[in-house]
Amino acid sequence: MRNTFVDTIIDSCSERKDVFIISGDAGFGVFDDFQKSHPAQFINMGVAEQNMTSHAAGLALTDFKVFIYNIIPFVLYRNYEQVRNDICYQQLPVTLVGIGSGVTYAPGGMTHYSIEDIGIARTLPNLTVISPIDPVEARLAAEYALRSEGPVYVRLAKRGEPVMHARDTFDITVPQVIREGGHIAIVFHGTVSFDVMAAREQLLSEGIDVTLVSVPVVQPLNTEALFDILDGKKQVLCVEEHFENSGLGNIIAGHFAERRPSWSLRVMGIPYAFIHEVRTQSGMRGHYGICAEGIARAVKEL
Amino acid sequence: MDLKQISMQIRRTILEMAHRAGSPHVGSSLSCVDILATLYFDTLRLDNWDERDIFILSKGHAASALYSTLALRGIVNEELLMGYHMNEGTLPAHLDRFAAKGVEVSAGSLGHGFNIGLGMAHGFKMKDSNRKVYAIIGDGESQEGSIWEGALFAPKLKLDNFTAIMDYNNLQGYGRATELCSFEPVADKWEAFGWYVIKADGHDHAELKAALDADSKGKPKMIIACTTKGKGVTFMEDKMEWHYFVVTDERRDRALEDLK
Repeated sequence: MRNTFVDTIIDSCSERKDVFIISGDAGFGVFDDFQKSHPAQFINMGVAEQNMTSHAAGLALTDFKVFIYNIIPFVLYRNYEQVRNDICYQQLPVTLVGIGSGVTYAPGGMTHYSIEDIGIARTLPNLTVISPIDPVEARLAAEYALRSEGPVYVRLAKRGEPVMHARDTFDITVPQVIREGGHIAIVFHGTVSFDVMAAREQLLSEGIDVTLVSVPVVQPLNTEALFDILDGKKQVLCVEEHFENSGLGNIIAGHFAERRPSWSLRVMGIPYAFIHEVRTQSGMRGHYGICAEGIARAVKEL
Repeated sequence: MDLKQISMQIRRTILEMAHRAGSPHVGSSLSCVDILATLYFDTLRLDNWDERDIFILSKGHAASALYSTLALRGIVNEELLMGYHMNEGTLPAHLDRFAAKGVEVSAGSLGHGFNIGLGMAHGFKMKDSNRKVYAIIGDGESQEGSIWEGALFAPKLKLDNFTAIMDYNNLQGYGRATELCSFEPVADKWEAFGWYVIKADGHDHAELKAALDADSKGKPKMIIACTTKGKGVTFMEDKMEWHYFVVTDERRDRALEDLK
């Protein structure tokens, strides 16, 4: 996904001289060729996230389309106030490209996990949040960001995720049915996609057919389209590699009172607590149940 | 009007605005008036608006000084000042770029505008534009880490189209910069970071003009402008409380006596 996203931006640079990429001393190997082919459209601003973010806002004020590339804590946490005041408040077309979503970097330690980023992004008006599930959505996210006149945050993991979508073009702002199935739906975003697909296969072999719904644009959530898709379902399971209390599941739950849907909701994610245990990403997912077996089990418990 | 008279007029407007609104930061605004007057009535090229030079008030709490200057320069309507700091008003106490023409950047939290300005100067360089960027920062603001992140990076980009002016009144929210941290030698620090540094009397228009006009030899420029907080009003000068106090009827009358 990371490579698909970055390549889409880089490909645009031959035609679009207004596109400018800033790295905060991250992305080993990612921009090597680009730096040589388009030296005027790339800069590494070093380990100085506040300056990098305000600088991006300044470039945007002189009509550049700026992409900031870093791991998520350094595009959203360290520089939160610069993102808030300089980019979102000023409504500038800067895209924050965050790598290492969820516990991608496990066992890197809590400083390097990004399991509350959507919760943080929810406090930022004007910010579109995209959490792609596969390279198709990553490319569409890049195309969306290139077109956008406002701030965008893209939540990516790393590279190597398989393609989930059958189609290669659709409106990324609309939730997408990935697989049609029965009256149970799994709603998800980001890199849990592989486990969600595996869970579906496992359930199918046991005679349970589930509907899979991807929500690439988490903010602003197209609630109308999502609730239309889920209309008539009995149970919905929202799965995400994010704190349960502040991610997509929580956003959906927030619409319950006014929408009074036909279905009940269960949110699966990471419990609201700092992580001190040392585990790999798959170990972490297994522990929290956001893995194929855990998701399949949760569906059967619904 | 010469720059002295212009500065006096801006000071009077600041006083009237603060009196009407019951707003703080009067001392902070009066401190940078002569710098603003020199910039807006001498240095900045504003006639072709689309190609204008950019001024950023990074110490955004002195917004009333900028609003007064913009009004006198004819960039915003005088009427707009009546809604400063008012309920259902027009102009907030800290800068919102959507509030009025000429407010180039939203600022109020310290250590943002300076760095946005560096980005704009970089953008102009890349577009081969000769537009210039000027930013006033406070001495208290100069304690922000972000300022030094920018200071470290700007010389590499050879941003000789960027000038920062430090409003060095040595009186911040709750003390003196020189006493509460190792502020001095501040000019040496900027020089060591690769900036072209000039000191000037921040209330002497000729000195400011000379400093603004000086060739920075390919480097970004830092003008250390020595100023007095509350400048122009005897009972406010160099008094920390004028970061906070409001202008009552009686105080306004006394202040306007000084600004005749």
